[in-house]
Amino acid sequence: MTALHWAERLPPGMLLTELDALADPEADAAQHTPDAPLLALASATVRLARRRFGPFDLRVACGERIAILGPSGAGKSTLLKLIAGESAADEGAVQLDGQPLRARHAATIARRRAVLPQSHSVAFGMPVELVVQLGRIACEPDPQQPAIVAAALNAACAGALAGRRFDTLSGGEQARVQLARVFAQLWDVRAGLLLVDEPLAALDPGLQFELMDSLQTFARQRGHALIAVLHDINQALANFDRLWLVNDGRVTADLPASRVAIPALERLYGVALRCIDDEAGGLSVLARRAVA
Amino acid sequence: MTTPHATTLPRWRRPRWPVPLLLVGVLLLALAVAVQLGAVPVAARDWWAPFGDDAMSGGAHVLWQLRWPRALLAVLIGASLGLAGALTQGLFRNPMADPGLLGVTSGAACAAALVLTVFAAAHASIPPAWRIAVLPASAFVGALAVCFLLDRIARWLTPGSVAGLLLTGLALNAVTMAVVGLCTYLATDEQLRSLSFWTLGSLASAQWGVVALVAVVLAASAWQARQLGHALNALALGESAAAHVGVDVGAVRRRLVIVVALLSAVAVAWCGLIAFIGLMAPHLVRGVAGADQRRLLPLAMIAGALLLLVADTVARTVVIPAEIPVGIFTSLIGGPGFLMLLRGVARQQGGHA
Repeated sequence: MTALHWAERLPPGMLLTELDALADPEADAAQHTPDAPLLALASATVRLARRRFGPFDLRVACGERIAILGPSGAGKSTLLKLIAGESAADEGAVQLDGQPLRARHAATIARRRAVLPQSHSVAFGMPVELVVQLGRIACEPDPQQPAIVAAALNAACAGALAGRRFDTLSGGEQARVQLARVFAQLWDVRAGLLLVDEPLAALDPGLQFELMDSLQTFARQRGHALIAVLHDINQALANFDRLWLVNDGRVTADLPASRVAIPALERLYGVALRCIDDEAGGLSVLARRAVA
Repeated sequence: MTTPHATTLPRWRRPRWPVPLLLVGVLLLALAVAVQLGAVPVAARDWWAPFGDDAMSGGAHVLWQLRWPRALLAVLIGASLGLAGALTQGLFRNPMADPGLLGVTSGAACAAALVLTVFAAAHASIPPAWRIAVLPASAFVGALAVCFLLDRIARWLTPGSVAGLLLTGLALNAVTMAVVGLCTYLATDEQLRSLSFWTLGSLASAQWGVVALVAVVLAASAWQARQLGHALNALALGESAAAHVGVDVGAVRRRLVIVVALLSAVAVAWCGLIAFIGLMAPHLVRGVAGADQRRLLPLAMIAGALLLLVADTVARTVVIPAEIPVGIFTSLIGGPGFLMLLRGVARQQGGHA
């Protein structure tokens, strides 16, 4: 997937060079703290249902791609909710652009980070365009909105779904529309933060590659950092730079997404992993039962 | 994939204006017919009576002092119920929600019943000019209390569950109606008459002053609703997703609850319990005009106005010279309507409504 391929999908009049003109001055002004990382967690701790998650000490720079891996119930989604500002830190702090998340208005944060949720349900048979428009609710009134909505739908391979009702779509189609909504939200933002919670779960393999490619292309072109909760180790190794391994409410390891991480992954899931180098130089693994 | 945007406009959106225009036209026509119908015949010259110098004839008096206020009150209360229903459905992300089903109107009736009976003696201490506001104010407090209780209890016991929400509403409904029953038991004969008016629902108390007051409250609520329309759309994504796109969900929810309580209180204070208008009006409109709340809210108001006006006109003309309380009539029609709605929702969600 090259940048040229991407540009072909944009509607006429919405070329990449124009994106700079669209960039929101307020969003850029939010980055006034120099040298601060895009995202910083300092001993951030959450208590949920008498369970303690954290303390998390993590830093994310602009444009980094991080996959969160771990067994079910380990606290992956809780960590993502903490970063998204959905759960407040009971102790410690979460900072976006060097400012505490809690001190900033929801609309201001929405201009810097977007979240793709795990569940896709939308009430009341909303039309597809309206669902995507809602991604831009923090920038209204916005004369660019129709163009951005159409471009975001195309970027998420959902251009053909325009005009349909969201509740009549299949699961895969709904996932594409939600992806388009997230794209629309950060369409004219630079170096923002994109949070994704198991976007590809329960989709067929072809669609998984397609959506992962759109997501990666979108993030790369705009310099967005990407943090994704994933189940599939191969997807994490193929598309991400770093891995956060979460177990029992803590980040137990922060590793590069390469062969180095294999022993830690084996311990994390309690399996044996066989490495397979594919012809393109990528790394895949095959999970087997661990030998006792 | 790269079809131009203009040609991909959804089919339902093309008749952008006809639906509201049609509804307003039908509403005006229904108003003209409604004031003409009734036990006392109205002559053509009675229409000009307020503008001439002659003393008012019987027909003119009926037309201008009874039927016009009543028809306009039906329109305003119907619009309030339709708007309250649409806002409640948006707030709870659920096409089956309605202030009546969830116990909000019963809460208002409960507070009003307490004021009418148990605290009747306290009325003497209030200046006469303020007494007109006592019932609506107490009804508002009752409705607001149920709204907040419902929100808290349903979220705490059964987070995210539609059935849990409706059952919580059922429980609150039972408690508040039990209090109304207790008030009925304690009431004197005179108080009993006013109480039965509450529980049956009627527009017979219409006066020009009440019409003006309801109009002011409705206008203020509609202005609030207009501001909240797009935030309500975002709520359809789910509360966390709405917060992620930049909506201050807590503030929106508080404002919605206050507006819903205000609208329900006004309707209950002057017209008692009128069920199912708030449920059916938004539902009918959603089928025709789509789910965008910015369009749905005004259309639900018009549809609610039309429904209640027709229901009231039928209720007061079908057994001339007597009349059926309109609340009974809307429940008789609305009950089966609700079952049809349930069937539609169950089909859509594969039986997991």
